[in-house]
Amino acid sequence: MYVELKNINKKFGDFKASDNVSFGIEKGKLIGLLGPSGSGKTTILRMIAGLENPDSGEIIIDGKVVNNIPASKREIGFVFQNYALFRYMTVYENIAFGLRVRKVDKKSTDKRVKELISLIGLEGLEKRYPSQLSGGQRQRVAFARALAPNPQLLLLDEPFAAIDAKVRKELRSWLKEMIEKLGVTSIFVTHDQDEAIEVADEIIITNKGRIEQIGTPLEIYQNPQTAFSASFFGLTSFLEDYQKFHTFEKIEGAETAIVRPEFVKVTKKTEFQKYKSSVSEGVVERVSFRGDNIELKVRTNETVLTAKRGLDEQSISVGEKVDVLIYRIFVTVKEKTYLLENQSLKENSIVI
Amino acid sequence: MHENKIGSRFVKWLLICVSILFIFLMLVLPLITVISEAFRSGWETYKQAVTDEYTIKAALLTVEATLFAVIINTIFGVFAAWTITKFHFKGKKLLTTLIDIPVTVSPIIAGLIYVLTFGRQSFLYPYLKELDIDIVFAIPGIVLATIFVTFPFISRELIPVLEAQGTDEEEAAALMGARGTTIFRRITFPHIKWAFLYGIVLCTARAMGEFGAVSVLSGHLRGKTNTLPLHVEILFNEFKYVPAFAVSSILVMMAIIILVIRSVVEYIGKKET
Amino acid sequence: MKKVNKRVIPGFGLSMGVTLSLLSIIVIIPLASLVVFTSQMSLSDILKTITRDRVVASFEVSFLTAFIASAINAVMGVVLAWVLVRYDFPFKRIVDGMIELPFALPTAVAGIALTSLTSDQGIIGKFFAKFGIKIAYTRIGIVVALVFIGIPFVVRSVQPVLEKLDGSFEEAAGVMGASRARIFRKVIFPEIRPAVFTGFGLALGRCIGEYGSVVFIAGNMPFKTEITPLIIMSELQEYDYASATAIALVMLLFAFLLLFAVNLIQSRNAKILKGG
Repeated sequence: MYVELKNINKKFGDFKASDNVSFGIEKGKLIGLLGPSGSGKTTILRMIAGLENPDSGEIIIDGKVVNNIPASKREIGFVFQNYALFRYMTVYENIAFGLRVRKVDKKSTDKRVKELISLIGLEGLEKRYPSQLSGGQRQRVAFARALAPNPQLLLLDEPFAAIDAKVRKELRSWLKEMIEKLGVTSIFVTHDQDEAIEVADEIIITNKGRIEQIGTPLEIYQNPQTAFSASFFGLTSFLEDYQKFHTFEKIEGAETAIVRPEFVKVTKKTEFQKYKSSVSEGVVERVSFRGDNIELKVRTNETVLTAKRGLDEQSISVGEKVDVLIYRIFVTVKEKTYLLENQSLKENSIVI
Repeated sequence: MHENKIGSRFVKWLLICVSILFIFLMLVLPLITVISEAFRSGWETYKQAVTDEYTIKAALLTVEATLFAVIINTIFGVFAAWTITKFHFKGKKLLTTLIDIPVTVSPIIAGLIYVLTFGRQSFLYPYLKELDIDIVFAIPGIVLATIFVTFPFISRELIPVLEAQGTDEEEAAALMGARGTTIFRRITFPHIKWAFLYGIVLCTARAMGEFGAVSVLSGHLRGKTNTLPLHVEILFNEFKYVPAFAVSSILVMMAIIILVIRSVVEYIGKKET
Repeated sequence: MKKVNKRVIPGFGLSMGVTLSLLSIIVIIPLASLVVFTSQMSLSDILKTITRDRVVASFEVSFLTAFIASAINAVMGVVLAWVLVRYDFPFKRIVDGMIELPFALPTAVAGIALTSLTSDQGIIGKFFAKFGIKIAYTRIGIVVALVFIGIPFVVRSVQPVLEKLDGSFEEAAGVMGASRARIFRKVIFPEIRPAVFTGFGLALGRCIGEYGSVVFIAGNMPFKTEITPLIIMSELQEYDYASATAIALVMLLFAFLLLFAVNLIQSRNAKILKGG
């Protein structure tokens, strides 16, 4: 493990930002710290950087306990949420700053800065001030500035939050490419699940100061270990009493069941449905166009489920009576999550 | 609609006239009075009053006290603003309240508390006597009083600017291993330079003109513990009106220069942000 | 485990040290000596001092004149701020710059200038003398001096609020057919009210403590035109520190109450603005 956190606790007044947090990160990986706001993800990042100190527990980087090493000596690159570019310095000066304070000689500094500027594709803008750059350009500068002193670990706090939606997608893949190219171990914080899935090699899900689950995006998607991880991806619906959908096996002490839109198939009464016997009847409450699909809200057995339909399928209107088939559900018991298949589906016809 | 326009025009010019009349009566007329009274007996008398030995000594003392006030308050202002805006600590609110006290108390009370601290009835007095240090009714008292009444002038200008700027840039620099002086010089200072200049101008203006507090602590010894405003008072009370206004005219010119600098600094500062 | 330096930005120890040292020397120690000195006095002595007829009369003069002057400034301050923000007219920049004159001009100079203007020989004094009104050496004179001192407070506190006030606010009200007087009363005034009170409070505080500009114009007749700071001054000149301190305590108490009220208005206003 390159970075390791052991039993970290941190309180801000009465607020428990980190509750016995432990995890490890391998060298060279790109990790996404994912969680809703207030889940303690930024605090974890700031503690690794040394911007905050844990109340108890150990932070280990490259085999050394760094708790007592001041932030400035940890050799970490940090990209702030609002980039914190030095407003009164040019792009060039911003990137050179970390090298200058380290007393790197002029020639090597110049070489490194030029190299980074060409890496981020901002040639010709060296003399601009941050206020004269677009959001995406600023982020690139912040990235280059953090990388200039060749850190072994790069931390990014909500790197895409301050950028408008259009540019964000583009920057995501750019950042992933860059980090892969450089091979620097990186941790980024985000509250956006799509972003985490798309960018991260591994995701750490945080909730209420605790770590819910660690794994690759696919692992977490397929195998959520807690109710929270199960519900955090996608537009999930909750079933208060899944026994109303009689085709699922009974589990002792089961609480809520979680249904993802991909687990639901909605068919018109006139359409062919292979498992006609195991469907429940529902009424469509809302039909919304979502760009590449149609999102439906269907009330069935006193719960509202979210489902998706392709644009090429026959259109459905509000108030229409439809058949609802649930392929599978996640059922939580205490903190454990189980995946239940619809028993009437013998063959493996699951689409993910 | 048309009627409304005429009405609004009328109100507009009425308000403008009232404002200009008020400014003229309250601010411009006194300035004209000072200048015209100063030159009432001609240029020679004016020159004599201005170059009078006591006037020059008073001017020098005023410059001295002002310089001290600006230097001490600048040092204080920068450090206090840095402490308050860049760090979290307990008692911050109390600290900011204490810093503001000097501008809320009457200058006479400012003088009074220094008399109580360093005067004859103070427990410090025997020690000061032993060391042969005079504070009350001497120059150190005047300097201290001047520092006191202008104490928060620079920190007050800096704190809002630094607060708005946040601490991200400094944290980023610190993470890269920059030292405190480097961070201040290269990152923080560019943000506050105009506020800083502005604070110095205000501090100078007030320090130069302080009357009440200095009056309490000065022994009113001509040529020794007299500042320009106190000199004006003595001359006026001796019915030497022309010299009193002549000396005043120096202060008026200083005030006008300060106002011009203030406007320029404010204008440039606004343009830059 | 060794205690680590918890702060990322360097220089906390040094800057806190410099701040506290200077604050102690200049403010805390002198204030503490006032507290120490007060604690040596008996309550009955203090009460006796501050209830002396001449002292009570001075309180009345000081509070009354300061209040009237600040009220005049509250009205004129709103008018000036309004004119400076909303209208364009010749010499606007100069008028705007002049507002700060009372801060820049030494109070003693203002005092003698206003005195000579409003005395029987002065231009303004002569004019009013025709109607049998005396300004210099009366309470009116004190008010004039205090108006001069207090001009910048309300203007400078209302101006930024008016600048920020969105014109569309009034337009919306105008579209709905409200008369202009009504728009001002119902839409604009509530917005600037806290700023007016803040400026009024600050001006009042300054006026009550003012000494330099008032001593010349007041005439300083006991019971009539003698202000409280002047009484403190004369006690000090007679080395009666106990009386001076007792009277000063009353003024300090008032100053702090005023400051508290101003802070209350400001924080309440900040809450409303945030909530809205």
